[in-house]
Amino acid sequence: MTFIGLLAIVLLLLALRQSLLVVLGCAAAYAYLIWGGGTLEYIVFDGWDALNRDVLLSIPLFLLAGNIMAGGAIAARLVRLMRALTGPIPGGLAIATVLSCGLFSAIVGSSIVTLLAVGSIMYPALLQAGYSRSFSLGIICAGGTLGIIIPPSIPLILYGVMTSTSIADLFLAGVGPALLLMGLFAGYSIVVNWHRRLPAWDFVELVAALRSGVWSLMLPVIILGGIYSGYFTATESAAVALVYAVFVEMVIHRELNGPSLFRITGETTRLLGSLFPVLMMALSLNVFLSYQQVPSQIVEALNDWFEGPASFLVVTNLLLLGIGMLMDIGSAILILAPILQPVAESLGIDPVHFGIMMTVNLEIGYLTPPMGLNLIVAMITFKVDFKTVVRAVLPFIALMFVALVIVAAVPQLSLFLLD
Amino acid sequence: MPTPTHYRNHGAARRSRVARCKLPAMPPTSVIQLLHTLRRVELVVTFAAFVVLATVIFADVVIRELTGTGLAWAREVGVYANVVVTLVGIGLASDAGAHLRPRFADRWLPAAWEPTLLRVGEILTTLFCLSFAYIALRVVLETRDLDERSVVLRMAVWPVQAVLPLAFVLAAVRHAAFARWPTLAPAPSSETST
Repeated sequence: MTFIGLLAIVLLLLALRQSLLVVLGCAAAYAYLIWGGGTLEYIVFDGWDALNRDVLLSIPLFLLAGNIMAGGAIAARLVRLMRALTGPIPGGLAIATVLSCGLFSAIVGSSIVTLLAVGSIMYPALLQAGYSRSFSLGIICAGGTLGIIIPPSIPLILYGVMTSTSIADLFLAGVGPALLLMGLFAGYSIVVNWHRRLPAWDFVELVAALRSGVWSLMLPVIILGGIYSGYFTATESAAVALVYAVFVEMVIHRELNGPSLFRITGETTRLLGSLFPVLMMALSLNVFLSYQQVPSQIVEALNDWFEGPASFLVVTNLLLLGIGMLMDIGSAILILAPILQPVAESLGIDPVHFGIMMTVNLEIGYLTPPMGLNLIVAMITFKVDFKTVVRAVLPFIALMFVALVIVAAVPQLSLFLLD
Repeated sequence: MPTPTHYRNHGAARRSRVARCKLPAMPPTSVIQLLHTLRRVELVVTFAAFVVLATVIFADVVIRELTGTGLAWAREVGVYANVVVTLVGIGLASDAGAHLRPRFADRWLPAAWEPTLLRVGEILTTLFCLSFAYIALRVVLETRDLDERSVVLRMAVWPVQAVLPLAFVLAAVRHAAFARWPTLAPAPSSETST
């Protein structure tokens, strides 16, 4: 009965258009009042403990570094380089789109920014080169999702924080599935556009494009190289990335000045102001649930239901696909990761592998109606109707689903670099 | 830098939705000025905190690589700077309508109720923020009475912790203003992100 009361409050608040912060805060308050002895101060104590951790420092630093790099002409530089590299391949411009999205999202870490920055350059270029509107829309929307899995990824950091999993391991484990997705998108582009006439290599353009884009390309190399060579931790790499981004955009590219740095910092703070309080509430609720031994009870209950990891993975993936259609990836990870991960671990599933699978699964939510963010952004940006965008992304959803099945079934794809 | 005009144009997307409400068209200039000043101060404070955060963590790496010993206090200062950035950011997120919100339940109630729903929503958020601020204030006072100190710097924790109730009060001020004058409220970020 008390649980029904909690569910009713949550649903009522959602119907009244309350933010996730209010919904989680009220859920936590209800839980403490009914099952926790009524001391609401614990919510604040646990919330404070959640904020008072240095592992969280990487999130603001990576976000700001990404926003600074996105503020310049980095997308145009990367697109130029990728076009020069892939020109003589069938579907080369489409492959250039996928690679540009992958590289750009590795730098800025945002799906929407990637879609807007690369899409605004590549969509007209693809149409001009004779690619169909549907294919062009689909490849840009799908390419825009790659930032979720390519390190440094904020959803992976959130999963690491919520489940106490190594963020450095998660970053490394994201590489295999990211390459798989990019390979599938590129392969599909080649098959669909096999008949296209190909230009010859232009080495002069390739060298010029490389020279123009090399500073931006160095950022992921510095981040990942620094972490895995042992020079710095994931948090420290975020500070290095930020200083590097400011240096490149202010001194080398000269596309950033004081006022624009102030404006970008304000925009990043706004983003953090929406994310961190939810993170604080989710971690506070998580502490309460752990104290009440709820995760272990769920593990016990679900262990009776599932014969083994395979059936759990199937059911979890179906659940996450449904959730991904209704919720953004950050909120879904904050709420579900601490509940599902202990069950997965009890069934012998590696926590890093489970985190990657969960992220790849929720990545599909960017392309599925009714709440797919990339669909909405593409519809407005490229001035097409919703049905056209949905139809355009269908083959890519199928490819992502294939990738999800492979990621779920083959843990080594995620874990081979860790081994 | 946004000006008070920002607030006059702020709720343009929402204005049509609340047109049926019998509400004052625009708030007094003093309210607009107050929100504008609040926003500017928050932006400056969070920018300064961001600079501190990035500088100490980067300096820690550089000094450690050069001398073999990092700055022992860097993480703690970074964490406190991050607390300021993210908590003061709550008000900025409210100001921009950027708080994360699941939207799948938006059509559960009749569309005709929308103007009232928007107002009730803002009132609920205000009450939540004020309640949380009150509980947080009690925690801060308790921390002060216990003379709780940080691990490395040995400084009192409560002044940093005091950002918690302050941040929620500042967010409550915004939401109360949006409830009283719905035209001030920003369009949700997904409507403005493009």
